[in-house]
Amino acid sequence: MAEQPCVDLSKTEAILGSYPHEEPSLIQVLQDVHRAYNYLPCDVLVRVAEVLEVPLAKVFSVSTFYKAFSLEPQGDTIIKVCTGTACHIRGAGQLVEELERKLGIGAGETTEDLKFTVKTVNCVGACAMAPVMIVGEKYWGGAKPARMSRYLAEGGSDEN
Amino acid sequence: MPTLKVNGRKVTVAEDVYLLEACRAAGVEVPTLCNFDGLEPWGGCRLCVVDMSLAKWDDDWFKMVTACNHPVEEGMTVITDSERVLATRRVVLDLLLARCPETPLIQRLAREHGIEETSYELNPEPTDCILCGLCTRVCDHIGVSAIASTDRGWGREIAPPFNEPPPDCIGCLACAEICPTDHIKFTTSNSCRTIWGREFEMLRDPKTGEAVITKAQAEHFAARSGVPMTYFETSDRSKRLEVAKTVERLRVVKS
Repeated sequence: MAEQPCVDLSKTEAILGSYPHEEPSLIQVLQDVHRAYNYLPCDVLVRVAEVLEVPLAKVFSVSTFYKAFSLEPQGDTIIKVCTGTACHIRGAGQLVEELERKLGIGAGETTEDLKFTVKTVNCVGACAMAPVMIVGEKYWGGAKPARMSRYLAEGGSDEN
Repeated sequence: MPTLKVNGRKVTVAEDVYLLEACRAAGVEVPTLCNFDGLEPWGGCRLCVVDMSLAKWDDDWFKMVTACNHPVEEGMTVITDSERVLATRRVVLDLLLARCPETPLIQRLAREHGIEETSYELNPEPTDCILCGLCTRVCDHIGVSAIASTDRGWGREIAPPFNEPPPDCIGCLACAEICPTDHIKFTTSNSCRTIWGREFEMLRDPKTGEAVITKAQAEHFAARSGVPMTYFETSDRSKRLEVAKTVERLRVVKS
């Protein structure tokens, strides 16, 4: 098991309390857990398997199958850089490089202070706005490396 | 009982069987890697594809289906060696050979289908695992579920939770023995068995001293069946010796 900080299981118990204790609840529970902790801690998966009476191997299988789940702690703000065909052509690579300069992390990595996680995604379906970058909940079309500081400063909030 | 035509030969089978069994009943060999009698068919390897047509369809209308999990129906026509079926199998084997270039079983099947070398890019990290899912399905079947398929796409592999020695494993070797390519490695000595990175204590026959099965496996089956633990300690050789002794005694009584 990767080294992970001890987690507070009370949030897990609350989540488990609101679903029937059976296998079909698994994905819903994992989604709520992911929202609560920002990732799926090992201890929580073990507890979920125990309570829902699903083999741990199955829980691990589901947790690793979906891209929406992460087993590593993630930053508070998740930055997604689209690297689909249109964005790739219009300079998604430079956006990723600029992020690497600014935050010191590459795609798929998280800053040490757990503020940002950078991910590259294949297509967000907004090719007309290429290159597209999503910071938190905010979409930036026609993104330019020179404006990166602004994206990072303003993107964290959920407001539009 | 439905009657089908497999490669022009009529065959009558039970109602609740799948096409693969009907093909076999007609004496037609259909290759498969992920099918195992006693486990639910899965349709994972795509090697058992056949052309199938229902009686009510136009004469030249065929659909390609996996024989292992397609139920039989009255009046079905099945063709197992049409050009497109063979072409599909070749693609499957070509891809498998790119993934597992060093695996004897895959090499042999590919050669039987006319493929000496893969036309795809070779897997830089050759593996023997063809992801047929037999190991995880048999593990589920015996009620253990210690291993499962993890990740997806390129990264998909069969692994225990967190890639650590699996806590639920009972060391029964069902996964290793069912594996068609012998990908799952294990060692068994008189006192200890290792598989999936875990060590298991062996139960030994009190009379002959041979290792029989792992203690964890005996406990698992004893709990599920109600059979006493001592039953599992007795080796096959011990059981045969016991039978031989009884027969000897009977012979003495008779004479």
